[in-house]
Amino acid sequence: MLRQTTYLTKRYGVPEGWTLPVYERDGGYQQAKRALSMPREALVEEMKAANIRGRGGAGFPMGVKWSFMPWPPKPEKPHYLVINADEGEPGTFKDRTIMELDPHAVVEGCIIGCFGIGAHAAYIYVRDELHLSKARLWGAIKEAREKGYLGAKPFGIDYPVEVYVHTGAGAYICGEETSLLNSLEGKRGEPRLKPPFPAQAGAFGMPTTVNNLETIAAVPVALAMGGDAFSKLSDLHDQKDGGCRLYGVSGHVNKPGVFEACVGLTLRELIYDLGGGVKGGELLGVIPGGSSCPILRPDETVNAPDPKSPLHRWHGKNVLDVPMGVETYRALGTMLGTCCAIVLNKNTDIVLAMHNLMRFYRHESCGQCTPCREGSAWLFRILDRMVHGEATMEELDRLHEIADNIMGNTICAFGEGTAMPALGFLRKYRKEFEEHVRTKGKSGTGRLAL
Amino acid sequence: MATIKIDGREIPFEQGDTIIKAAHRAGIDIPHYCWHPGLSVAANCRMCLVEVAPPPGRPAMQLDILRWDPEKKDYVPARKPKLVPACQQACAPGMEVLSEGSDHVEEARGAVQELLLLNHPVDCPICDQAGECRLQDYWLEHQGTGKRMQQEVVHKPKAVDFGPTIVYDAERCIVCTRCVRFTAEVAKDPVLSVRERGNLNEIVVSPGRELDHDYTLMTEHVCPVGALTSKDFRFKARVWFLRSARTVCQGCATGCNAYLDYDPRTNVPHRHRPRDNEEVNKYWMCDEGMLSYKRAVEGRLGTALVGGEDASLEEALAAAKDQLAGLKDDPGRVAVVLSAQHSNEDNHALLTLARTFIGAKDLYVSGRPLGRGDKILMSEDKNPNTLGVMQLAGAPAPKPIASLFDAIKAGKYSFVIALGAEIEVDAKDAESALSKLKGVVTIAAHDGPLARAAHVALPATAWAEQDGTYVNRQGLAQKSERALKARGDARPGWELVAKLGKELGYAMTYKTLADVRRAMTPEAPAASRDADRAAKPEVSA
Ligand SMILES: Cc1cc2nc3c(=O)[nH]c(=O)nc-3n(C[C@H](O)[C@H](O)[C@H](O)COP(=O)(O)O)c2cc1C
Ligand code: SF4
Ligand code: SF4
Ligand code: SF4
Ligand code: FES
Repeated sequence: MLRQTTYLTKRYGVPEGWTLPVYERDGGYQQAKRALSMPREALVEEMKAANIRGRGGAGFPMGVKWSFMPWPPKPEKPHYLVINADEGEPGTFKDRTIMELDPHAVVEGCIIGCFGIGAHAAYIYVRDELHLSKARLWGAIKEAREKGYLGAKPFGIDYPVEVYVHTGAGAYICGEETSLLNSLEGKRGEPRLKPPFPAQAGAFGMPTTVNNLETIAAVPVALAMGGDAFSKLSDLHDQKDGGCRLYGVSGHVNKPGVFEACVGLTLRELIYDLGGGVKGGELLGVIPGGSSCPILRPDETVNAPDPKSPLHRWHGKNVLDVPMGVETYRALGTMLGTCCAIVLNKNTDIVLAMHNLMRFYRHESCGQCTPCREGSAWLFRILDRMVHGEATMEELDRLHEIADNIMGNTICAFGEGTAMPALGFLRKYRKEFEEHVRTKGKSGTGRLAL
Repeated sequence: MATIKIDGREIPFEQGDTIIKAAHRAGIDIPHYCWHPGLSVAANCRMCLVEVAPPPGRPAMQLDILRWDPEKKDYVPARKPKLVPACQQACAPGMEVLSEGSDHVEEARGAVQELLLLNHPVDCPICDQAGECRLQDYWLEHQGTGKRMQQEVVHKPKAVDFGPTIVYDAERCIVCTRCVRFTAEVAKDPVLSVRERGNLNEIVVSPGRELDHDYTLMTEHVCPVGALTSKDFRFKARVWFLRSARTVCQGCATGCNAYLDYDPRTNVPHRHRPRDNEEVNKYWMCDEGMLSYKRAVEGRLGTALVGGEDASLEEALAAAKDQLAGLKDDPGRVAVVLSAQHSNEDNHALLTLARTFIGAKDLYVSGRPLGRGDKILMSEDKNPNTLGVMQLAGAPAPKPIASLFDAIKAGKYSFVIALGAEIEVDAKDAESALSKLKGVVTIAAHDGPLARAAHVALPATAWAEQDGTYVNRQGLAQKSERALKARGDARPGWELVAKLGKELGYAMTYKTLADVRRAMTPEAPAASRDADRAAKPEVSA
């Protein structure tokens, strides 16, 4: 159900909304101050109750992740909070708006987060191209430090906290959390083997929590409201998917952009009510949450006769009418991902669309492990031939096989992030692909943009 | 002891073992490229994927995939279990692992294999690795199909000069990072790294550097494919023509276990490479040791010398008898020089001649001078058998060769009988001192100051041409096998000693190596153990 909120976007569009005075006028930093005098367990419990599912793509419950940190912290093993603001997923552009328009929410979230996980330092890893984001974060950190909200005694409380901005160098794979940690340490940005998980050995080998930037920015709001109340904003509170979040919509819609709403919004609402409807014709498909999420067709219906399925309530309904949630989308065979949808209208050449995405994955694979390094490149090669009208039916039949063998066989989730959407395109648009191959590309519109 | 099951076979594991490690120890081969027992785990090649049954009562983790149904002419959704790399997954008691017993595993390995060869040049006919290449072996075992990608492969730098010893071919490289990890973790010189990403990845040497530390040839050795080649070995031999002897490196007192690979048709040695031994060299050798195989051929004493002129063995022995005439009158005027370069067997024979028959009291020991050592493998003592000589001789310990020349200058000796070619003191001094003596007989495999100053030099076999026992710095007595046929007139050192003894009229009866070894055993030092028993099975990782 569409319920727009302004908890996270209150200062969007407010003059100087990114500065400390405006933030404090809205009650800013009160929650950080409060958190620092709470017992740690109470804070973590509050966060668990808030049911903030990680906004970086995997949807892991944030409070639970915090509780994984070893406790109490050992003096020789300082804890770190690392904020993932790499935002490299194609079609995703929500974290950037927070950094640009409400950076103090990030800083306040970091203070609370540090306390929650026993850290005294937070690193915000920002994609280097985001110049305004970096400037606004630096500005906010400076203001907060001058006010004494950061440093040795934030708000006069004896719990030192520092927040640093670290810039990446524009590699998608550095958004994967362990790759990010390597990059943060000055190493080659490629994923680490797990275990050990970051909570055991993360940044500089120390216990670390990695949170997405939107995840941490939601913390002050959730704390102010109370965890349970925050969670209940959501239609999917019973699925432990709580609160409100940012939704992005781009591609062939009349009003692309970032919107805030309670969890439980449907794709139809996102596209038609918030995004202003499909631009230039009918809907061909929607990539729901960033390019790694398998595409949905507008003519799909939910098949969930099992009452235990998180989708059962929507059995028989159109997929566009299912609330966008971590569990619901997983059950649909796709993913909620970053909650930023890419809309394709009927004029889109689906082969070109898949070609475009596979080019991205081929280019961004770190190349560490064989299935992803070679498989992503082979997928792209075949699609490239297809786009040029050169591919054979046999090559089309090879695509799913390559993807099948990337799936699950790689070091990091990049592999699935490549294979899942590839399989999605094939399964749902096989007829179009066949037609494309048969007609040597003439059946396609040859267009991605309008 | 806790166990796991691999394809139904129960094997024990030790605390901290990964599946592949436990399997390796039990002699079960799980296919792998990037894993190496002496390096950290990278788990990047994905060749070792196995299926692990979930703990009882828990569902297996399944992944959604697609299969093509030719009947329906459409995809059908399917599921497969999540496979895990055997090189990364730790063993847990009772764990059930399917390796060859799982179709999913076979499919995954076949796919990895196909992907590794996708952009590979497959230039096996001109590749030094051919015949011992995992890409070839696993193609046969796990793929067996032709290349399905018909387009031009990705091209990358070829014949890149990495330094004085190694050449790199990025097209053949499978980016397993074994070489990178070796240089960082074992050689402690992190001079290699990965550049670029995706399928453009390649290995590079740090800017401003060359691959030029003491262990560069090991990078070639750990490379599972033909991407790194050794300049020394490049284009010289096809490995299937080579035979291997289990040798002990002669480069220093560490006594690394090695294979000497040689061509039996031409009697030419081609390379020295490590033989795994956890107690001594683990999986490694240094460059100096790996290249030291050349001494089996280079600088050899091919024939006997009498007064510096070539002579037959018979002539030389007769000349030796002449030279040493009068030796029996005063054994006190005889100095005997043992050699830390020679085996226990050779030294034992000479000791027997000296003590039992001649009754000589004064023993010296010669060898190569001290060199550079390190904390990895290399010993400063550049002789393979210093400890062996000392143990055999017992008390009083043989004196260093420098003191021999002082004693000669002081007129103490008339005769010297010496084993070995090399000495650790100035060669000119040595020659001028020795030239003053009445009789100097040397038994040596190589030309050198001791041979040159001798009135008679007898040509001994090099270590590669005879079986021998060497005691390394840890006190391990290790056997080195014969690889080559003796060059020229060379005979084993112990045999020449025996012949000389006979010529001098003593009852030296050694006819075979076994005779010598039998004679040695009762007095063999307690510390010496047969390290061969500790040597690992010959499955190279
Ligand atoms: C290839 C890849 C790229 C990723 N990129 C991002 C990213 O840009 N931003 C992000 O927050 N998470 C990204 N993630 C997810 C992170 O690994 C991690 O799950 C997340 O930062 C955890 O934060 P959260 O629990 O708050 O979502 C990526 C994951 C993968 C596999
Ligand atoms: S799956 Fe891809 S991105 Fe991830 S480690 Fe492997 S090669 Fe790198
Ligand atoms: S690396 Fe192996 S497969 Fe490649 S060319 Fe050399 S021998 Fe052939
Ligand atoms: S050069 Fe050889 S050892 Fe090094 S990464 Fe390539 S294949 Fe592996
Ligand atoms: S051996 Fe390479 S992944 Fe295990």
